[in-house]
Parts: sequence; C-alpha cells; structure tokens
Amino acid sequence: MKVRTKYVLLFTLPALILYSLFVVYPLLDSLALSFYSWKGVGPKIFVGLKNFREMLFGNFSKEVFNAFFHNVYFFSLATVLELGLGFLIAFLLASKLKGAKLFRTVVYMPNMIPLVIVGFMWNLFLNPQIGLVNSFLKLVGLKALARPWLGDPSTALTSIILVNVWRHLGFYVLVILAAILNIPPDLIEAAYIDGASNWKIASRIVFPMVLPTFRTLLILLFIGSFNVFDMVYAMTGVQAGPFRKTDVLGTVFYRTAFGGLGSAYVDMGLGTAVTVFIFTIVMPLSVLYVFLIERRERSW
Amino acid sequence: MRKLLVLLVVVLCVVLLAGEVSIWSWRSQDADVWKQVEQELRKMGKDIKINFTAFAPTEYDAKIAVALQTGTGPDIVYSRRLPGGRTQTMIENGLYLPIDEYIDFSNFSETILKSVTYQGKKYGVPFAVQVVGIFYNKDYFDRFKLKEPETWDELVEIAKTLKKNGITPFFIPGKEAWALTMQHAMCGVSVLGPEWIKKLIDGETDFLDPKFTDLNRRLNDLKVYYQDGFLANSTTDMDAAFAFGQAAMVFYGIWGYQNWRNLNPDINVGYFMVPPVSKDQKPYAYVYMDGAITLTSNVKNLNDSIEVLKFCATPKFGTIFANVTYNIPAVSGAQLPKVPLLEEIVDVYLNHASLYVYWVGSVFVTQKPSLYDDVLSPGMQEMYAGKITPEELSKRAQEAISQWYEPLKKRLGK
Repeated sequence: MKVRTKYVLLFTLPALILYSLFVVYPLLDSLALSFYSWKGVGPKIFVGLKNFREMLFGNFSKEVFNAFFHNVYFFSLATVLELGLGFLIAFLLASKLKGAKLFRTVVYMPNMIPLVIVGFMWNLFLNPQIGLVNSFLKLVGLKALARPWLGDPSTALTSIILVNVWRHLGFYVLVILAAILNIPPDLIEAAYIDGASNWKIASRIVFPMVLPTFRTLLILLFIGSFNVFDMVYAMTGVQAGPFRKTDVLGTVFYRTAFGGLGSAYVDMGLGTAVTVFIFTIVMPLSVLYVFLIERRERSW
Repeated sequence: MRKLLVLLVVVLCVVLLAGEVSIWSWRSQDADVWKQVEQELRKMGKDIKINFTAFAPTEYDAKIAVALQTGTGPDIVYSRRLPGGRTQTMIENGLYLPIDEYIDFSNFSETILKSVTYQGKKYGVPFAVQVVGIFYNKDYFDRFKLKEPETWDELVEIAKTLKKNGITPFFIPGKEAWALTMQHAMCGVSVLGPEWIKKLIDGETDFLDPKFTDLNRRLNDLKVYYQDGFLANSTTDMDAAFAFGQAAMVFYGIWGYQNWRNLNPDINVGYFMVPPVSKDQKPYAYVYMDGAITLTSNVKNLNDSIEVLKFCATPKFGTIFANVTYNIPAVSGAQLPKVPLLEEIVDVYLNHASLYVYWVGSVFVTQKPSLYDDVLSPGMQEMYAGKITPEELSKRAQEAISQWYEPLKKRLGK
C-alpha cells in the first residue's frame, strides 16, 4: 500500500517547523550578521567582507589564529587520550572480570557531573597553594613538580584538556565497550583455541574490528574540540589567561561579540564572523560523518 | 459573590497603588541596600516596592543590551561609568534616559558628575566611589615595627623584611588579568604622576617614554615578593589569604573590605597610597566612580522610578549604602560606619585623588584595541611570566593605542 506524499509531509511538518525555527533560521541569521558591524545595540552597518578580512588578515587575525591553533592542539591531545585511554579501559572492562560492572559505573560517573561544577571543582583541585593536586605532590615528596597549573603558560591549556578528558572519558569508554562487546565471541574463542596471545587478540582482532567506531568518535571529537567553550570559560574565564594561552575560537567569539571587561568595545558582526569560521571548519566533517553512517548502513 | 467582587476590587486597588520598580545590577552584595531603601521610602509615605536582580558581572552588560532593546528590561539599571564605549552606545541609542530635570545633583562633586555626563546631560545617579591602593595587615606591621612607606624603595624594604620573617609580603590574584591592570594603574598615578599622565593623554609623550617602561620594570622586579604560583590565583583566593593573615599586603580596592570583614571580623586593616619614587613627589590614589543608577527606556513605572532615583541622590541613601557594603558612597554627607579605615579612605578620596588616569575612566579604554582588555591585562601576565620584557610591554601599548588614538598617532610623524 502506497502512502500518499501529502500525508508524509503532513506528519513531518512539526519536526520541520521546529528544525527551521531553531536551527536553520539562527544559522542563516548568523551568516547574515557576519556582513555587518553591530555593537549589539543600535543600527547595523553593512560592511561586506570587512569582518572576514579583519579576521583572516587584519590585526584581529593574530588573536583568531592563536585561538585556532589552540583548538588544533585541543583536538590532537584529546584524541590521543580519549581514544587511547578509552580503548584501554574498555578492553579491560570487556573481560569477564569481577567488579567489571561496578567499574563501568565508576568510569562513567564524571560524565554525569554538570560542566560548571566540573570546572569549579578542578579550579579548587588545581589551586597552587591548597589544591589537591599540589598538596598530594608535596605529600609524596614531589614538591618540585607542583606548579600553578592554570597560571603557568606551559601547563594551563593542557590542564584544561586533561580535565575535559576526565569529564568525557566515560562516554568514549561506553561507546568503545559497546563496539567490543559487539564482536562475535566465536572469533575470540577460535583465536584462543589456536593459541593466540592476549596481545595478538587485542591488536589483530579487537582493534581492527573497533576501528570503524574510532572513525566515528574521531569526528565527534573534532566537532567537539572546535566548538569547545564551556570548560575554558569555567576554568580561566572569557579572558582565557594567562595572556590568551587558553584562548579558543569559542572564547574569541564570546569576548568579541559580548565584551570581555567592563567598558569594552564589542562587535557582534565580527564575533559572528568567528562562528562562521568555526562552522566552515566543522561542517565538512559533519557531512563526512553522515556519509560514513550512510555507507555503514548500506553495507549491512 | 458580592463580597468576593468587593475583595477583588480592593486587592486590585492595593496592587495598583503599590507601584513596583525593578532594578538590575552586577552587584549581588547590594540586595540589602535596596531592602532598606524600600523601608525608608515607606516611612516617607511612598508605597514603592523594589524588585532587585543581580547578574554575574561578566555577563551583565550583554544581558542589559539585549533586554533593553527587546523591551523586556527593568525600570532602572546600574550602568558603567563614562567615558566608556558601552555606556555611550546605550545612551546614543536612547536606551538610557537623561534625568537632569528630575534630580537634584547638588550632593555630588563636579568630578563625580563627569562620570555620568554625556554631551551636557546626566545619565544616572552615581552610587559609589572606589578607592584603590595598598591594603595591609596592621598586626604584621606592628609586630615588625614597620611604618607606611613614603617611597617605592621603602615599600621594597618592607617587603624584604616581611619575607625574611617568613611572611608573604604581597598576595597577587594574577589569574584575573583585570586585577593586574588595576595594579599597574594604581601604581601609575603615584609613580608616573598625574602630570605625566596628562601629557600622555594630550599626546605630548607616549607609552615608549622611559618612565612608563621604568614602572613596568619596577612591577616586574616586585614579583619575587608575591606568593608562589601567583599567576594561578583568583581574587577569591586573595580575599581568603588576606583575611586569614597568609599575606601582609594586597593591591586592591576598598570594596574588598566587606569580604575581609565577613571572613575574619577581627582583621585589622590599614591603607596607604602606592608610594612615589622619591619623597619630593606626592603620592596619589586611583579613585573612580563605580557606576550609576540609571533610568532606562523600558521604564514602566516612571513616577516611582523617579522617586527612587531622587532618594539615591540624598545623603540618606549614602548612609544605607555605606553601612551595608562598606563602600564609599558617591553622594556627600552620608554617615559612614565608625571604622578608621573608611575615614582614612574618604580623606584620600577627597584630597589625594589623581585627576588623570589611564585605566577605567580614561579615554584609552573606549576603543579596540583597549589598553585594559587587550594590552595591560594579558600583557602584565605575560611580563610576570617572564615571556616579555618591560620594554616590550610598553611597545605593545604604543602600537595598540596609536592605531586609533589621534594624539598618539600624530607623534608618529616626529
């Protein structure tokens, strides 16, 4: 029985309306705004491509690319740690080990803590004088390793990334664990019978079969890394100190569009141009993600 | 049924007669002030209810701009001081209203009124004057027989003595870049002097002047007397450290006193202005108007809002404000709490304020790149971290401000 086209459209209409209203319209509005100069108050002055020129080649570009490379670093380090630690922990949890279920819960727990609380909590942990991290280092005789983590330009961004990894690791473990548990047990049993070592089973059977999941997670990590704002804001504020060493495109946007300190000059148009820049980085990968999902479904 | 109807009418009348005035601010500590103001207005026979809402300081300005443009804003807002790009924009677009015809400003000094005046009209009633400088733990000074320094070198000697005796001389909230700019600015009014700052504003000298670089170097050299890891500490850390005697001195403002007293009611705080380089120079204090209580274009209850603003311009309001917040009220004639520190601060405000400044209240923060946001805030952190030299910080200031400030642009030709 063939369903009439008009009924299909009728049933999808509410979703389409909501999607258009809350996703498509704001997106197009942002795109339009990036061609204007606007202080958030009063008239919008059309300036054409001036905002993009300023952002890519002008005085502002130094700030933007400083942040961009921090996003790249964020992605690189987060990927290594989330996927590496995620796989390792998931592999351990996949074994029929006593307490595995308890450990699964424990690993996922940080993911349930609200982001602002994570930021606040780790601000305290990383406090140079009384924080848990430095206190512990002093306690075990490693005082030389104690540092002002969020104030040291060489450790601030890395500290934020590590906190972010701590917070989100549970999600990656969960997804990778699901992928591992999805491997037919026959393959692993056959390998054991044939005398394969644990290392060989891990590297030649489990890892290759989990690889497609890694590709998906990689794309999610890329999108998340370039949209990061909350954790940086919670830990070093919109000024992204020390001296912009934790600045990311998200904080550049916020500072430019809404202002950083008190009487600061703001430009919504220039700030929105930064979001368009983020969008042009992230969108191609999102399309690729959809394509990969499509291909996977087709292959089944 | 008829009784119910009568009751409804009575309730409606009461609600209509009791006008409500909504006020938005970035200062959550002022909630009690407005409760007391409401009580005072009631005693005066004015049945006005005040609905006070506070937002985080860093988000406040954006919220105000959006709310006032969409017509969902309050009757009254706290506004930032002038000159300031954001406040000017709000005024130019009619979102803040002039109040000259309603308010008697005779209780305010000319200097204070400059902070609310734009093109000859006044936008808001100033509420507080902030005085910044060095606050010190009197108990430590007494213990080691230290007296308030008169020169920069004497300040350094005091720091040496304290450090030698195991006391952290200064606690610096280096993670909060704005506090480092404030430190630079409060030192600048004494070390550079108002006359030099005036020359800078007039374009007769610039940021490359050896005096400016010298101040950068003096501050950089002072960091050996700061607490370990100071670039990772916030003002919250500083409040606790100073209140509980973990450091002897802080570069801060009188608004901190409220927190210090709350944390440690027994704390014995003294104050001195940053000392100049030599005794033949006078010390000055950085004094600025914190903000104003301003009528908005969204006002729904104009008459009652005017009554509230009128009250804010009286010494009575200043008395309430000072006793709740331990801040210095902008209005003169207020009765302050009997605290020696506050008396000293008022004297400094009245007699030792620098007329010329380069931080808040100055022209250098009204455009981008701003001396505040873009130069000194990240730059001081970078200098303290040893990544740039005092000379490089001066160069950055010059390169940034000369992009848009005409008097400094003209110097490029010389």
